[in-house]
Formats: sequence, structure tokens, C-alpha cells
Amino acid sequence: MSAAPSLAARAHTAAPAQSPRLPRLMKPALIVAVIVALGLFVPSVLKSTFYLGLLVNAIILGIAAIAIGFLAHQSGLMMFGAAAFTGSATYLFAIAVTRFGWSAMTASLFTLLAATLLSALIGALVVRARPLPFAMLTLALAQMLRSLVLITQFRPVTGGDDGLALTFSGSFLGLTQSELAKPASFWPVAWLALCGVMLLAWAVGRSRSGRVLRAIRANEERMRFSGFDTYLPRVLAFTLAGFIASVAGLLTGLHTAFASPELLDFATGGNALVSTLVGGIGSVSGPVLGALLYVIGQDQFGATGHLELLTGLGVVLVIVAFPQGVMGFIHNSVARLAGRGARAQGGGDAAH
Amino acid sequence: MDLSQIFNVAQLANALALASLLTILASGLALIFGLRDVMNFGHGALFMLGAYLGYTLAGQMNFWAALVIVPFLLALVGVVFEYAAIRPLQRRSHMDVALVTFGLALIMSQVVIMIWGTSPKSMEAPPSLAGSFNLFGQPYPAYRIFLIAVGFGTCVALAAWLKYTRSGMHVRAVSQQPMVARMMGVNTDRLSLLVVCLGTGFAGLAGVLAGPYLSVDPGMGASILISCLIVVVIGGLGSIGGAIAAAVVYALIQVIGTVLSPTLAVISPYLLLFIVLLWRPQGLGRGRVG
Repeated sequence: MSAAPSLAARAHTAAPAQSPRLPRLMKPALIVAVIVALGLFVPSVLKSTFYLGLLVNAIILGIAAIAIGFLAHQSGLMMFGAAAFTGSATYLFAIAVTRFGWSAMTASLFTLLAATLLSALIGALVVRARPLPFAMLTLALAQMLRSLVLITQFRPVTGGDDGLALTFSGSFLGLTQSELAKPASFWPVAWLALCGVMLLAWAVGRSRSGRVLRAIRANEERMRFSGFDTYLPRVLAFTLAGFIASVAGLLTGLHTAFASPELLDFATGGNALVSTLVGGIGSVSGPVLGALLYVIGQDQFGATGHLELLTGLGVVLVIVAFPQGVMGFIHNSVARLAGRGARAQGGGDAAH
Repeated sequence: MDLSQIFNVAQLANALALASLLTILASGLALIFGLRDVMNFGHGALFMLGAYLGYTLAGQMNFWAALVIVPFLLALVGVVFEYAAIRPLQRRSHMDVALVTFGLALIMSQVVIMIWGTSPKSMEAPPSLAGSFNLFGQPYPAYRIFLIAVGFGTCVALAAWLKYTRSGMHVRAVSQQPMVARMMGVNTDRLSLLVVCLGTGFAGLAGVLAGPYLSVDPGMGASILISCLIVVVIGGLGSIGGAIAAAVVYALIQVIGTVLSPTLAVISPYLLLFIVLLWRPQGLGRGRVG
């Protein structure tokens, strides 16, 4: 009974060694390429600007959620203050456009670079902390940035309470500001960014560094004794998460052309955190599914006026009922069904 | 600006008033964390609930009745919290439980808004404490003196309970070595019920006390929660003595910062958190690392 799955598993691992590497990757890569290409045509199928706008919001939220999920899965560190990274990226972009007068493209590159550097610096300081103090530290960072933005002396730069409304010159990947504001023309940018980020997080997770990171998460002391550097990989993971979060922040800046202190609020980081948990941190697609559900839920519950109440109930229910998130639940159910099928087949083979 | 403006008796008393409020809240938070490893993100919402209940009861009866009844009501909430949330989830990761309390906080604050509305309420100090008090030659609001007295009185009572009673000793034992304490026959579940009730009751007490001192509004829970979390983390997770020391340091920095420069006052708590955690990851006290 128990021999059949292990045999199947051995056969599964043995197969790649026999077949050449490239053709094995060919099929999944082709499927992914087709999905990415098909995704570009969503605006021509979905005509409603409202629902398309909702999807764009889900994508932006989903990218922030991927950042949280990536770090939580690879390092076991939960970023409570993800708003610090998404929000600071939006502000960096806003300041580059309004104060320095840079064009959209230059400002975007500057934003990604500066935000990544910033997260590398912060990561170097905070990844030594244990998970709970780490969560507090990132939360405190977001709160600190929010307070800094609101300080009256910095008002000329940050806009204070009013935030910064942007009018940027030049184009971003051939799109002008008014085109970026429309969901239909902004769609390709958001969609490709999402695909890129998902592929990046997936590839890093599957790489050797990903395995080292998860081993450190499981037992840091043992990894150190085995001769691995346990500090640098975590800083790199944090930096990558910060980079992904800054992509979300940059997209917010490009799409809404507005930076408000609300972006640095705990609630904003909370949205992404809730999405991550609802979707599940075990996979790259989980947080995105969570973000989609979250945005749909927000739209549905928003009309009732009890948005936060229902969000709270949703968080509690999902964490209690689905410890691995919705994606983890789906994954487990599929695996269980497939496992039953495989076992039946294996049993049949054994009988022959 | 000369130094007497910064370090005078009134400023010190202001700092102590803020510190006493923070110690009551933070010691409750630290107690629950020490025993159950639960970082209660709902503590701010409990504090807010306490303040609103205090507002209603003080209006219908008087302030003193509210000061006695509200902590008991909040302790009842603590019983529900222990049986419905903490006990069923005690095998789950700390982060999961922390997030459940975060969800419960969202629910609780919305329930408060549904009952009392979003407009801020003002609560008067009781007539016997409404005037001012002569503090080393300077008039100072009597209510704040009372707040300091209650805050530090509570801390002394808590410290005495922890040090001189059997149940207090068990709480200390579980906070330091949960496994060993359990092996020596300490009933963690029964102790946890007591400690969670005490923690939520303290949140209620702090809420009533805060009524005449701060304004009673729906944002009060979230803003004080962050301060409390900073205090608990700086003090060393689960350490009561550390939490008290950290609350005083935090309040002093906050008050002195406000006089010196508003910019400094805004960012100094976070800088303090960063510096303490990087210098001493376990915090100031002798707590466990979370």
C-alpha cells in the first residue's frame, strides 16, 4: 500500500534524469507563455471599465501580497508593515516627478533602484530579529514613515495631509499619463509586471538560494553549523521582497498619479497581509488569488457599509478554517484526489 | 530655550501620566504574551471598548462606579477571548493567533462604532478631581495626579501578586520556562484564564482612566496599540518589569521630544525601538525572546 506512492515518486524523480533538460521545461514554459499572451487580451474581452479597474487594483494588491508571501514562505518572516515599502515607492516616484521634474521613465527607474537600495539597508538591520519582533519592526517602520510624511516642515516635499497630485511629463513605455490612468490602456503594464514578479518569485523559490532559505527557516543553527552563511541569504530575500513591494508602489503611482499618507497607513499594509493569508503563502499564485478575492469582497461588502467588520470576520474564519489559505486548501484537495487516483492506478499495476 | 523648560516638575508629571496609562496596558499585554505566547493585537480595541463603556456608565451612574464595573465587564470579555480564541488555537503558530486577534480587533472596533457612532465623545473628570493640585508650587490638574497614583498603584499590586503569591509564582514560572513549569504540575490552562482576564480587565481600567485624559474616539485604540507594542517589545517580550521601565522611558522621550521639536517627538519612539532591538534583541527586561 505504502510502497506504491514512493515507487511513483521515484519514477517521477528518475524521469528528468533520462530525458534531456530542455524539452522537459519546454511544455510548461510554452503554457506559461500562452497564458501571459492571452492575459494581454483581457481588456478586449472585458469591456466594463469598472470591472477592469477592479482587476487592475487586484493586480497591484496581488504584487504587494506576493512580496509578503515570498518572505513569509522563504524566511518565515511576516512583514506587517508592507505599506512601508509600497508607500515609500509611491512617494519616491511622486517626489522624483514633482520635485526633481524627471520624466516618468527616469523617475520609475529611480524609484525601483532607490526603493531596492532602501530595503537592502533596512533588511541588513532587521532580518536578525525573530519573527515577532521583526513584524513589530516593519510595522513601526511604516508608522514612522507615515508620521514623517505628515510633519509640517516637510510639507513642501511630501504634501503633508493633502498628499501629492502628480502631473508627469514624458511617457512610460509609450503610454502618456492619461493613458496610464485608464484601466484598459494600463492593463498590459500591470499584467506584465504581475507575470514578471510571479516568475521571479517562483524562480528564486525553486533555485538553490530558495532551498537554502527554507532550510535556514527550518533550523538556522543547524545551517550555520553546516557551514552556510545564514545572514546574507535572508538579507537578499528581504531585498527581493522590498523590490517586489516597490513594483506595486510604483504601479500605484503610475496608475493613480497620486501619493497620499493613507498609502503608508497600517490599513494599506493590512490589505495586502490579509490577501496573502487568505490566498495562502505556500505558493506564488496564492497571494494573487487572495488579492482577487479581497478586491471582489471589498466591492461586494463596500455597499453594505460594514466592510471592516466583514473583513475581520473573513480573516478570522480563513485563518481558523484554512490554515494554509484558499490556495493551500485547493492544492491539498487536488493532491488528495490525485493521490487517490494514483494509488488506485498503482494498485492496479501491482495486481498485473 | 533653557533646560528648566524641558526638565520641570510639570513635564515630568505629564510623562508619568502617559507612562502610567501605558504601563497598565502594556503589563496586561506582557502578561498574556508571557503565558500564552500570544501577541494580542486586540488590546487597543479592548482599551477602546473600555473607554466607551466607561463613558456610558459614567453618564448613567458616576465615574467611580464605571471605574469598578468596566474592568469586570472587560474581564468577562477576556473569558470569552480565552475560551473562543486562545484555547482552540494554542497549537497553531504565534503568527496565526496574532492575526486572529488582529481580525477580532477589526470586528470589535466596528461593533463599537455601530453602537456609539464615529463622533468623538468627551468625558469629564469626577467633581472631586476636576480642580488643580499644588505640585511643588505649580498648579497641576488633579486628575493626572490621580491617574499616576492609580497607574503605579496597579503596577505595585501586580508586582506584589507576582512576587508573593503562589499563583503569581506560577505565572512567573510559566513565562520563563513553559515546559518545565508544566512538568512540575502547573495548570497552564487555568492560569491562562486568570491572566487573560486580568490583562483584558487592565485594558478596561486603562480605558476608563483614559476617558477624561484623552478624547474617546474610534481611533484611540489603534494609536495607543502601536505605542503599547513598542513598549512591550522594548521592555522585553513577556517581562512585566521591563514593560514598566520601557513605558516610563517611552513617555519621557515623547514628552521631552514634544517640547524640543515635534519632528523628534514623532519619530523618537520608532528610533528607540530600532536602537533597543538592534542593541539588545531580547529587550531591556529579562523576558523570553519571541
